[in-house]
Amino acid sequence: MTTPAAIESSLRGDHALPLRPPHQVMNLERLGAMHQSRLSFMRTLMRCIMRERWQIEPSRIELDSQGYGSVIYRIKAPQGHYNFVVFSNQLTDEDRNDRVIATKWDLTMALVEGDVDDVYLEKLRLNVPKQEAGRVDARVFVLSRANRSTRNFDYVVDQLANGHQPDITQITRVGYLYRTTAVYGSGKLGMADWDKVSSTYGDFARPFAAEMFVCLMLRNFSLMQAEHIAYHRAPDTFVKMAPDIKRYFGIGNSTGLGMAPYLVNHPQLINRWIEMRELALARVRALGQINQRVRCNLDDLIDRCIRHTQETKTEDGWQTDNNRQILADLAGLAAYVSESLTTWDDLLLWSERNCSVQSQELLVSILLELYPELVDDLEEYHCTDEFLDLDPLMPLHRLKSIIETRYAWALNIDFGAEGARETCWYRSEEKMEPRLGSIADVNARKKQMALGVGCAVQKCYVQLCEYMADYPDHTTARFMVARPKMRGIVRRIQTMNKCTYGDIQANLLDRDMLPIHLLRCKLAFFGVSKFDPRSRLWVRNTMFQGAPLLEDIGKMFDDDWFMPLAPRQ
Amino acid sequence: MHISMNELKAGLRRCLEATGYFVGNYEDAANMVLWLEKHGLNGLQEFEMALPYIGHDRDKPLSSVVYEDSTSAIIDSHDRSALNCIAASVDLAHAKALESGIATITVHNCHNRRFILKALTDCGRRGISVAAYWRNGSHTVMEHTAAIRAGQRYPSYSEAKTSLDTTPEDHQALTIICSSRVDLTSSLQESDGNREVFTISPEQVARNKRKSIHQGLSIDEELWSQINRIGAGVLVENSEHSRLGAGGR
Repeated sequence: MTTPAAIESSLRGDHALPLRPPHQVMNLERLGAMHQSRLSFMRTLMRCIMRERWQIEPSRIELDSQGYGSVIYRIKAPQGHYNFVVFSNQLTDEDRNDRVIATKWDLTMALVEGDVDDVYLEKLRLNVPKQEAGRVDARVFVLSRANRSTRNFDYVVDQLANGHQPDITQITRVGYLYRTTAVYGSGKLGMADWDKVSSTYGDFARPFAAEMFVCLMLRNFSLMQAEHIAYHRAPDTFVKMAPDIKRYFGIGNSTGLGMAPYLVNHPQLINRWIEMRELALARVRALGQINQRVRCNLDDLIDRCIRHTQETKTEDGWQTDNNRQILADLAGLAAYVSESLTTWDDLLLWSERNCSVQSQELLVSILLELYPELVDDLEEYHCTDEFLDLDPLMPLHRLKSIIETRYAWALNIDFGAEGARETCWYRSEEKMEPRLGSIADVNARKKQMALGVGCAVQKCYVQLCEYMADYPDHTTARFMVARPKMRGIVRRIQTMNKCTYGDIQANLLDRDMLPIHLLRCKLAFFGVSKFDPRSRLWVRNTMFQGAPLLEDIGKMFDDDWFMPLAPRQ
Repeated sequence: MHISMNELKAGLRRCLEATGYFVGNYEDAANMVLWLEKHGLNGLQEFEMALPYIGHDRDKPLSSVVYEDSTSAIIDSHDRSALNCIAASVDLAHAKALESGIATITVHNCHNRRFILKALTDCGRRGISVAAYWRNGSHTVMEHTAAIRAGQRYPSYSEAKTSLDTTPEDHQALTIICSSRVDLTSSLQESDGNREVFTISPEQVARNKRKSIHQGLSIDEELWSQINRIGAGVLVENSEHSRLGAGGR
């Protein structure tokens, strides 16, 4: 059993485990090369549901033969009971849009605390389908919506209605029936604040647990709805979907820039997630015994990753090249492991010298998979207090020294170089959607969000040096009175200095910066797979593919849905 | 209307950013308003009173240190709102207290001083005890005091009507006492001159917070609209070009 004190001593001090250094881990390209792992939030949630045997049953199904209407699922978990309410409405193809700016969807849904009676259901029916245009109350934890993958959905319904199972090749191309296009929690639109969920409802008191749960429920509803429609279309010929094929259906997700500012605006939280992942890796490196069983499992996992990557379809040239490189690297990795594996440190070093960054990070996920006993208990430590506190007593020479050491990466950026400050992030008046523009657009430049941490650090350093020329012995408090505009960045520097990993080490204002790295980093923590970039600004992916079904809860559970594979047909 | 704490914070941040508050400051200021409101201390009422003036602060000089020694300082805030200057004054008191054991900072020409409660609370959480005292009102003088012990999460707060005469020195002045060695508490005296003494204990402040967390907050629709209307100043007008910039299909 891990304790906060044990974690602290593993991260810092004389007993610290061998952690990878911040300049390596916090590199943007590496963050954007991360893959799902045992510590991803979907895996953690699923383990929790299976271990605690949550009871999840549809309590009210009011769908017509076309699958339109509403369904309520009742969820009984150890620390509370909840209801998942989904509304299914007819949508024309023209109205189907994955962007935040859409106003209509095939499905809308809410996760609600406590019972839902008729009056409350009507209140939800009036507001949930409107999403951002509606209002809910503090009983609602999560609001979400999803659009149908029309071709896939119709195909699956046709097959089941005609007495056939869906063809695996088709599902391998698109492994879901619906794509969720936004999942809102944490107090948006009048919902319960995170403070309420985390302090009162332990079942969802981990980052994004309630949001992930809604996606899981959506996946289960989508399968139920497809069977429902197929049955009503042809009750005589209908067949249920085979369980292994059902498990291979996940839920699609379409993620755009909205996720990117989150990573910059929650640096302590992101640092915490990364600390846990890196601590897990350090435990494996220091404590993970390599025996015959582990070698067999490693071979299996490498094989699985090869097949999973082969089954990943994308039209994006960049991602296709990445996947090809991963396949080549995995072949090399398999050869190295069979001939030369002695220690995990050597293997990691070999990967750093011979593999792409994406493959190196895939190896990290594989290693975590080998040692649940060293990794899984860290899942309870993904939360942290988020206070960017100023240390007013800190002498200015200490502040300067911190910038020079922890933020050397920022001081080394030439912000005067062409394109180094060309990108600006702003919020559109259209649903406040975060967008990316160029400083050539004066309006966007003037109203840009403060995401250029490296640039702000460099400006602060210049002002600090000027001030120290006159007042070398002053404290930070005195500097703050004289330079109040530096307050935000100074307290960020001081706070992040206490974190193992600190800030993302990249110039987010650079013309050539790839926002997709930010999206992918967060999605990897969520636990998605099958990255399919649609541009450098948004990415489709699949959630919960291979996860247990609702009907699997209470049965034996082998937590082994890492890099899910197509069932053999 | 009902809103969540997170919505209020986000709305206030946009509003204050659009008003010209700089990075770091608009987050602090939004947190100060939210803190009062969610702890049952009328943050929105105070903000509504401040709202007509907060845009003017960008044209005023920054706070300046008028006098300073190892245990005290006098700061002139040049008629700024506490929302954008009081945190730095409390930090200075904090730093001096850590060096000297106890420190006093007097702030002049500072408006909306009730917002200091969030900054006091931050000090308490970080292991420093602080007390603050101020007066306001030109016809009937009101006295206010707040204090927090080292290591505590919630402060106490008292206010009362007095029969004191107003003096020019009282106008927008605030005294902060900060100690790393002594636990400070404060309450207004139930003297003959004081009327309608209102006191809220740390326990009641904690109870108010629990209620806000569980139920969310209520806000006057017109005030919420006003906050959002001002906050729209940070949003960029929509265009086909900007739509593409978000990565549309």
